[in-house]
Amino acid sequence: METLAAFFTVWADPKLFALVAVGTFAGIYIGAIPGLSVTMAVSILISFTFSWDVNPAIALMIGIFMGGVYGGSRTAILLNIPGAPSAIATALDGYPMAQRGEAGEAIGITTVMSFIGGFAGIIVLAVAAPVVSDFALSFQPRDYMLLAVLGLLLVGSLASGSLVKGIFAGALGLMLGTVGMDPLTFTERFTFEIPLLQSGISFIAVMIGLFGVSEALTQLHQIDKAAVRQSIDRIVPSWSTVRKHLPLSMQTSAIGVFIGALPGTGGDIAALLAYDHAKRVTRNPERAFGDGAIEGLVAPETANNAAVGGAFIPMMTLGIPGDAVTAIMIGALFIHGLNPGPMLMVEKPDMFWFIVGALVLANFCMLLFGLTGIRLFVKIVEMPRAVMVPLILLLSVVGAYAVNNSITDVYWMLGFGVFGYFLKLYGYPLGPIILGVILSRLLDDNWRRAIISERESLPAFFHGLVTSPLSLVLFLSVIFIFVSQTPLWKRWRRGRTGPARPPAEPGEPEDATLS
Amino acid sequence: MRAPLIAAAIAAVFGFGAGVSQAADYPSKEIQGIIQWGAGGSTDTVMRAVTPKAEDVLGGSIVLQNVTGGVGAIGLNQVANSDADGYTLLMGAENPLLYKVMGLGQKDYSDFVPINILARGTPILVARPDAPYDDYASMMAYIKQHPNEVKFGSTGPGGVPSVVTAMIENVEGKLPVTFVPYDGDGPALTALQGKAIDVMPAVLGAAIEGVKAGKMKPIAVFSTDKVEQLPDVKPITEADEKYGKFLPWGPFFGIFAPKGTPDDAVATLQDAFKQAADQDSFKQLMDNRGFILMNVSGKEAEDFMAKWQSNTTWLLQDAGLTKKSPEEFGIAKP
Repeated sequence: METLAAFFTVWADPKLFALVAVGTFAGIYIGAIPGLSVTMAVSILISFTFSWDVNPAIALMIGIFMGGVYGGSRTAILLNIPGAPSAIATALDGYPMAQRGEAGEAIGITTVMSFIGGFAGIIVLAVAAPVVSDFALSFQPRDYMLLAVLGLLLVGSLASGSLVKGIFAGALGLMLGTVGMDPLTFTERFTFEIPLLQSGISFIAVMIGLFGVSEALTQLHQIDKAAVRQSIDRIVPSWSTVRKHLPLSMQTSAIGVFIGALPGTGGDIAALLAYDHAKRVTRNPERAFGDGAIEGLVAPETANNAAVGGAFIPMMTLGIPGDAVTAIMIGALFIHGLNPGPMLMVEKPDMFWFIVGALVLANFCMLLFGLTGIRLFVKIVEMPRAVMVPLILLLSVVGAYAVNNSITDVYWMLGFGVFGYFLKLYGYPLGPIILGVILSRLLDDNWRRAIISERESLPAFFHGLVTSPLSLVLFLSVIFIFVSQTPLWKRWRRGRTGPARPPAEPGEPEDATLS
Repeated sequence: MRAPLIAAAIAAVFGFGAGVSQAADYPSKEIQGIIQWGAGGSTDTVMRAVTPKAEDVLGGSIVLQNVTGGVGAIGLNQVANSDADGYTLLMGAENPLLYKVMGLGQKDYSDFVPINILARGTPILVARPDAPYDDYASMMAYIKQHPNEVKFGSTGPGGVPSVVTAMIENVEGKLPVTFVPYDGDGPALTALQGKAIDVMPAVLGAAIEGVKAGKMKPIAVFSTDKVEQLPDVKPITEADEKYGKFLPWGPFFGIFAPKGTPDDAVATLQDAFKQAADQDSFKQLMDNRGFILMNVSGKEAEDFMAKWQSNTTWLLQDAGLTKKSPEEFGIAKP
């Protein structure tokens, strides 16, 4: 009964209700602008809400969190610039849809799928938080490393056309991620004694450059071509469409919740792994992945919103942040006199149910705000290219500057933009570069931790790998995914299932806008 | 010859005039507060908690911004290179006092005026709950019987774990343990609960809740007395009195202005932050997070830092963790 009362606190109090709604609305726009992040917004709110009570402060933060994770998809679909790293995979299929005049449909399905994913995350948080957090805690450095390897195999999915070029791009990304002062030993790597390189290359700047600026430069090729007319009759997806993708969305939500609950991994990795999963399990998509497949939107969008609920799992049960945003929220709870930790759920169960209630409300607000105003938004894509290209460039510069208020990041961003343009021209996929940068530290740090823990003995490392059930499962998945991408396996499968349909690959290179 | 003279005279008059008006109505524009560490870290939380009240007292706004990287050196250099007019402040932790000996930079807090040293932390040694030892003596015995088997978490040279480890090695001699690196004590304590490491020297505040819930086993607090937040945990000096010479020691948080900032601006800021750190809600926050409120400025703060730097740099020097000797920078041996 008290649980129920705590759950509905946020629904019954008009002020709290309004704060969640306002937060979600603001979050969508903060998330949509590349460079402005939810992490930044929530940390500013700590000072802003200092004199408030704890409930309104948390209500506002939750709204921004939920809205922000969803908002990243907006610019990814319309402009090919992911508003946040967790929307990278969304751009892969969302933008091709917008270019065909289906931006409205893409945003519609994204919104509904974010809602479903968000819900799945909240349900797991509400019913299974202690179990999931115990499991997440059992991940050893070795397992995190295997997870990163699993992620790296995504290069196979992201590299349309030439696998060799994809591997090159992925390796380049991995290397870019290691530049700067190593956070574990404070040793400088690839800095050549240049102070500028000491703090590394801003990953967001690389992302905005590779996606935004290179896209703007590519569009200059067809500056006089009229923009595609957007169809706006199919915005809210039909029930049959939703039902068709429900099984996939449940699987990718599960990936999202779990990756979100792991301390140290968040929505960006969840979305990419989910995308890869979708590509593997979808037998014959209506359109090829990378060319505007609906499944390519369903997977990352359910996963990144499910990761929100996931991130709260270790926070509420153990006081351990599931991602950067929950890390700040833990600080907020401290400031407001609560002691987030393993005892919080025992001593203050009301807080837990209050947060669950606020998350549910934020999820509904997201659905509502997401589905209204789409007609207006798709007009952006209909603008003539002479307006669109400067707009993308402007947004890219502002976004890159906003990350650290640093002009250096703008130079990096422009440099990677031009570099990305030439890579694209010569058929190198850009997706794997970003993938490499994202996974670089996860792989590097955890490999080192794993091998140091085994006193630098490789046999002991492999012994651990095959004796721990969790590591073994991850290791076998890595091997399976690797083998399943070799020509030998594909031939064997084809031989077994009879003559297969032609493999679903994206069309001609000039259509493959990103991957 | 005359024109430059007149120009100089005009400049002098205006410069002087500007100085006076600034003194009268400082702050007349918004103040930038550069936080050395990232959003959500303990430095960030403390600074964002203390600032709103200081803004009230000042009657102006302080815009906080996280400038991270280079173990905080990027943010420090940015403030050191800005105008010393009282409109750019550094909100930092203890690390800069080690930059010189660690080869991380040429500047440290000697290039700044302390506005307020807000609080300091107490280190605590925690182990995973099923570890086969319960106190300092049995842990040491176990480590010596099982060389290189026990895994200690670490956070890079100069971090709290490296200093605590240097103290232990100073007392016990070289420790035969394996150090597993993490990027902060939060992730390392998470790993401890997941049994990826066995022992972690951490800041009390980061471990309190885990200890209370039985998720971590306290071995000893690094202070000469018991701490009120965890009254059952033995101070390290009870196990070995030799630790007394290093204590009290702990990481700290402070607010600094570049050297050369006008005295009246410094005085205004010192007063504002003194009041802000004195409010009950801030005291409560420090208490909950296991920090000891200091709220000192001026000479007291400078003496505290000088002693801290001398103790810590020489400890690290003796442990062979430094890149340059403290002697090179005129840091006296304690």
